[in-house]
Amino acid sequence: MVVYSLYILNKAAGLIYQRDFNESLKRLSSNDYLVLSGTFHAVYAIASQISPVPSSSGIEVLETEKFRLQCFQTLTGTKFLLISEPRQQNTDAILRRIYELYSDYVIKNPFYQIEMPVRCELFDRHLATYIRGIP
Amino acid sequence: MTIYSFWIFDRHCECIYHKDYKRPYRQLRSKPDLGSDSIDEKKQQSGGPPTGKGPLSVDDDAKLVFGVVFSLRNIVTKLAGEKESFFVFRTSKYKLHFYETQTNLRFVMITDLKVDGIRPILEQIHAGLYVEYIIKNPLSPVEHTNGVGVNNELFSLGLDRFLRPLSIFE
Repeated sequence: MVVYSLYILNKAAGLIYQRDFNESLKRLSSNDYLVLSGTFHAVYAIASQISPVPSSSGIEVLETEKFRLQCFQTLTGTKFLLISEPRQQNTDAILRRIYELYSDYVIKNPFYQIEMPVRCELFDRHLATYIRGIP
Repeated sequence: MTIYSFWIFDRHCECIYHKDYKRPYRQLRSKPDLGSDSIDEKKQQSGGPPTGKGPLSVDDDAKLVFGVVFSLRNIVTKLAGEKESFFVFRTSKYKLHFYETQTNLRFVMITDLKVDGIRPILEQIHAGLYVEYIIKNPLSPVEHTNGVGVNNELFSLGLDRFLRPLSIFE
C-alpha cells in the first residue's frame, strides 16, 4: 500500500496542509499546490452541479494511470485529499483514520487556529507513523 | 447499468455532439434575470441548493462538463506529467468517464455507479463509429463548429445500436 501524498483543504479552498510521503510524484512549487487545491475545490463543487440525479456529492474518487486521488469531505467543509497508487484498496479507511488523527492532534490542540495552516508536531509524527505502518 | 448522457468535445473546446439517454432530474438553476428581484437572484446564486426559475440549458451543462473535465486534466498533468490524463471520476451518485484521442477529441460519458471499465467502449465509439461515419464522410467539414457534420444519421443510429445492448434504459 503506497500513499503518495496528503492534502488538507479548508472551507475556503485554502491549502492548510500538504505532505509528500513518496518521491513518485513530481515536486511542485508551493504556489502550484495552492493553485491545485483551489482548482480542485471548484471542480468538486461543479461536479455536484452537473449530476444527472439530485443531491450528488462532489468528486470522491479520481483514477488515472499513475495515481488515484480520493477525497473525503467532512461535515464542516474540510476536504482531505489522499493521492495513492492506482490499485490501492481501503483508501476510505485510511482517510477516516487520518481524519481521526486530525481531530485528535490538530482540532483539539488549543493553540491551533481553525482554518489556518496546520503546524502541529504531534499530528505530523502520528501521521508519519500511521502511513509507514500501513501494510 | 444506466448511461445518463454522452458528450463529444472537439479540440476547440466546443461541444460538437451531445446525447441525453436518461435524465431523471434536470438540475434547476436560477438564470440571471434582468428585472426586479435582482437581490433575490444574487442570494440564490451564491451557494446553497439550486432553487431555480428555469432548467439548466444544454449549453450551460456542456460548458460545466467541459470545465470540469478540462480542469481535472490540468490537475492530473501537473501531478503526474504531460502525457497523463484521468479515466474516470466518481461521486456519490454518478461516474464520469473520459477518453481523449491524440487529436484532442474528448469523449465524455456520464453513467451510474454500477458501470466499470467503460474506456474500451469509448475507444470503440471513436474508432468504430466516429472515424467511420464522420471522419471518413467526404461531405463533412474538417471543423465541426456547432456540431455541423457530426449530427448525421448514420452516426446517431450506429451509436444507439452500439450502446443500447450494453445498458438498461428504463
